[in-house]
Parts: sequence; C-alpha cells; structure tokens
Amino acid sequence: MSIEVRHITKRFDGFAALKNVSLKVPAGELVALLGPSGSGKTTLLRVIAGLEVPDEGTVLFDAQDATARSARDRRVGFVFQHYALFRHMTVFENVAFGLRVKPRRERPSRAQIAKRVHELLALVQLERLAERYPSQLSGGQRQRVALARALAVQPKVLLLDEPFGALDAKVRQELRRWLRRLHDEIGITSVFVTHDQDEALEVADRVVILHEGCVEQEGSPEEVYEHPATPFVYRFLGNVNLFHGRIEGSKVHLREFSADAPADLGQEAIPAVAYARPHLLDIDHQPPSGRPHFRATIAHINAAGAVVKIELTTDSGAIVNVELPHERYRQLQLRKGAVVFVTVKDMKVFTQAQSTLGGGI
Amino acid sequence: MGLSGFFRRRRSVLPGFGLTLGLTLLYLSLIVLIPLSATFLKASTAGWSAFWHTVTEPRALASYRVTFGAAFIGALVNALMGLVVAWVLVRYHFPGRRMLDALVDLPFALPTAVAGITLTTLLSAHGWIGRYLEPLGIKAAFSPLGIVIALTFIGLPFVVRTVQPVLQALDPELEEGAASLGAGRWQTFRRVIAPELWPALLTGFALAFARAVGEYGSVVFISGNMPMRTEITPLLIITKLEQYDYAGATAIGVVMLVISFAMLLSINMLHWWSGKRYA
Repeated sequence: MSIEVRHITKRFDGFAALKNVSLKVPAGELVALLGPSGSGKTTLLRVIAGLEVPDEGTVLFDAQDATARSARDRRVGFVFQHYALFRHMTVFENVAFGLRVKPRRERPSRAQIAKRVHELLALVQLERLAERYPSQLSGGQRQRVALARALAVQPKVLLLDEPFGALDAKVRQELRRWLRRLHDEIGITSVFVTHDQDEALEVADRVVILHEGCVEQEGSPEEVYEHPATPFVYRFLGNVNLFHGRIEGSKVHLREFSADAPADLGQEAIPAVAYARPHLLDIDHQPPSGRPHFRATIAHINAAGAVVKIELTTDSGAIVNVELPHERYRQLQLRKGAVVFVTVKDMKVFTQAQSTLGGGI
Repeated sequence: MGLSGFFRRRRSVLPGFGLTLGLTLLYLSLIVLIPLSATFLKASTAGWSAFWHTVTEPRALASYRVTFGAAFIGALVNALMGLVVAWVLVRYHFPGRRMLDALVDLPFALPTAVAGITLTTLLSAHGWIGRYLEPLGIKAAFSPLGIVIALTFIGLPFVVRTVQPVLQALDPELEEGAASLGAGRWQTFRRVIAPELWPALLTGFALAFARAVGEYGSVVFISGNMPMRTEITPLLIITKLEQYDYAGATAIGVVMLVISFAMLLSINMLHWWSGKRYA
C-alpha cells in the first residue's frame, strides 16, 4: 500500500512540530525519516499511524483519504521505540493480541492463532521464548517481539519509531540488517524514524531528511549523501569541515584558500561557506599544484579504525579534520606537530543565505 | 530454599540491612504485636468454653455478618467508584479538578462521628435525602444499607489514592499499541489497562475493607444498633466493656482479628500471585 501525506501541519501548544509537510511513499518501499531530535519526524510517523491528529493536511493510503480514520481502522503496524509490550502477557500472548481482539466473525480459531503466532516467532527467531514474559527478554528480543506483534494482524504498512534507538551498538547493527532482509522478504511498505544517519543510509531505499518541521531533502541514500541540497543536510549526513569566506566574481575566497566558485551561485560579492567531508581532503608534504590547498599543523592522530583520523590546526587557528586510508598515512609518515599541506579534492559551496535557510551554522 | 538461604541477602550499595530490619521488628512489636498478644492473653483468661460460648452466641454471629458483610460491600463499591474517580482525576483536565482531588481525602480528616451524624441527618426519614427515599420503600438510616453507606464514605480515599499513581505512571504507548493492533476501547481496558491496575486496586480494596471492619464512630449513629440486625461487632465489644465483661470483649476482638488477618493475608497472597508471574 502506498502512503501519501499532503500539506500536514501539526502544532503542540503553539510550537509547530510539522510545517506544511508533503511526502510520498510508494508501495513496497522502505523509507527512513531522518532528522535530529525535535525535527518532527516522530510526529509525522504518528500522524501517518493515526495516533496524532494533524491540524491541517491529509493522509492518503492508496490514494484514499484516511485522515479521519482512527488508528484502529488504519491497519498499520506500529513499533514503538520502547517496545510498549504488554508486560503481564507472555511473548506468545503479546503476538496473539491483535488476532484475539478481532471481531468474532473475523477472528481466527485458536489453532489458527497458535499457528500464525508460531510462524511469526519463527520469523523473528524467538520460537523458543514463546512462554517468557517481556521482563525476561533482552532489549533486542523485546524489539523483535514488538515487530512480530505488529506483523500479526497483517498490516498494510509498517511504521517503526526509532526501532533500534534503545539498543546497544552491536545489537543495533545486527537488527537493522535483519530488518532490511525482513523487508525484502515480506515486501511491506515500511517507514522508520531514526536520528542515526548511518542507519538511514544503510537500511532505507529512500531517505527523507527533516529539519525543524520541514522536509529538507528526500532521495536515495546516494543522492542525499553525494548531493546534499542544503548545508543542513550536508552537515547532518556526516562529519564536515567548514570554510568561511566570500564569493567574488568567478572565485570563492575563503580564509584558508581560494577556488573556482560554482557557476550557479551568482557573481556578486556575497558571504559563502564551503563544506568538505574529511575523506575529501588529502595531506601532502609539498604544496600540490593546480588544486586548492592550505597549510596546517597536525594536532592529533587517531590511527585506530578503518581510516586514520587526523586533526589539524590551520594558520588562522581553525580546526580541520582529515580522514586518510592507512596506506596513504604510512606512505606520508605523518607525525604530530608536523607542518603539512591540506588539499581539497572536492567541496560544496553554499552562500550565506542558503546556510541560514538550512538552520545556520 | 534452605535456612541459610532464608537469611541470605545480596550485597547492596545501601548498608543498614541489620539496623533497619531490627528497627522494623522492634517497631512492629511495640505497635502491633505486643498489644495484639495482650488481647489474646486477656481473651484466654476466661477459659476455652467461656470463650467459645461468647464468640458463638447468636448476637455475636449476627454482628460478624453485619460487620464483615457491610465492610465487604462498602469496599467493593469503593473499588468500583474509586477506580472511576481516579480515572477521571488522572485522565481528564477540567476546571475544579484539583478541588475534586482534595475533596477525596476529606473522609480521612473528618472525625468519623461527625460523618455519622451528618449521614444520619441526611438519610433519616425526614432528612434531605431520606425523605425522597422513604416513599420508594428504601430505608437508608437505621438499616444495614445505612451501615454500608457509612463504610463506603470512610473507605473512599483508599482505592483512589492507591490506583491514582499507577494510572498516572501508565505508559500511553500501551494503549496506542493496543489501538493500532485493532483493539477497541473496552478490549484495551480489559486486556491491557485492567491487568496493570489490578494489584493497586486489590491493595486499595484491602485497605478500605480493613478500615471498614474496624470502623465504629460513623456507624453507631446511622445503624440504629439493633441487636441481630444492625449491630456491628465493634459496638458489641463496647457494650461488653461497659458491662465490665473484659474477657468477653477481648474474645470477640480476637475473632475479629483472626478473620481480618485471614482476609488480608489472602488478599496479599492473591496480590503476590498475580504479580509474581511477570514483575
């Protein structure tokens, strides 16, 4: 089932959590709503689920207006961040709940319910824990019970609110891959909320980035990562170095260096900010020709991990982060305190006006 | 669990297990156990046959029925209505909510005799309320019904105050989860909320019941104190005391104690049993 929201606005005591948000989720996709806390992502999810009534706007399921339908009638599966399991029921009873509360004529027989629950518990790999109570399970197991419970009623849409937010890093990683596989298996239209950009980029077909109640950008993980539409998106999707300066003519003059200005930004003298990810910077002992570069002193080196993280101080005192492959790091034989040249392989320039639009620096 | 396991305790960051347990035992001994054992001792002075005769005479048996029956009905009414009151106070915000909330505790503060006199005045055949009940054939004052009303009045705060915090702490996501799974309001209440409230409700019921069993002040005015019909056990005890029949009075007191203790213990067992599965 496809989901569409049109011009949704929602206020809480004068605070606008969602401002005129529109969004389409095609059937069968796995979409991430990504944003910092307070960006309205959970509110949007709850509006789709019918747990929150929007002040303005409509929610459509399969192009049919569902705004007035209650949560009960929307047939969505909702998975809460803190699981919201019924603690006085066993795992089995929790999963069976949605089947047991069906109206008598739709309700499956006892045997059918038992069969369905065991299928679902097999799907979430918890068959052996059917008779346990939620308090006897780990966080990851509880979240899988919550998922099985939501899937029991064969919802048309699966909505997950920070599904892995309360779990530790390792379990998170496992569960999100597992969620991806599960989605590919059952093909249900799914929307999940997260504030973790890695999670969103790794798991989702499409990522919707929210900021202060507005959609900043939506697209495939590659699109939003490679072509961030706003400075906010650029900053939110990973570590970033900022260089402040002005655009003058066809050049952008930054405090540390100068480069060609992107053609679409206009030619007037306006303040600008350049964004460069740490892995798009390189280090050399000699000033390279033909590429924008600047001089800096190595302040700190962290070689533990997949890449070597180097912190440098520029001549003007700003801090710059660079990530180098281990190979390159060994080749350069970098030492703390060494004066080196930093090359900018790629960067994105935004004018000050765009930056303010994106929430400021 | 062996005897060694019986006294074993987990190492805790908070010291003072020995001290606090000692204080608890001392305190309970002074306040509860010693006076109660004195009751038993006093009751035993008359000898077993006299004891048995006193506690099983028809007037005493009738008074147990009145006392425990009315206390049970009163506590039951309080359990139901207290749940409703707590629900309204927690779930809805309306003007005057805090006033209403404060009103709940009044039966605690009011001297019970005042409550008894007020209720009697209201419910007697010529009272504000009684005069409308009389033509309907309902005799509220000087009847078992009057006792139930008085015991309901004094027991009201217990259920409200035990259920209220549990309702307040109840995660709204539980209800939202139930709704998104297709449960209706009643199903959500019965299958999701009620099991959460059950232990608190049981505790409130037990407290209201225990309080009602021992109640004297408010009942003596409204009951009419007719032996065999509206005489409560505490009044029977007072009557015996006034006749200097101390052994008889304590004998009946002992019976009340034993019955009350058995009922409270079984409620606690029920409580423990319903909570141990998942707590």
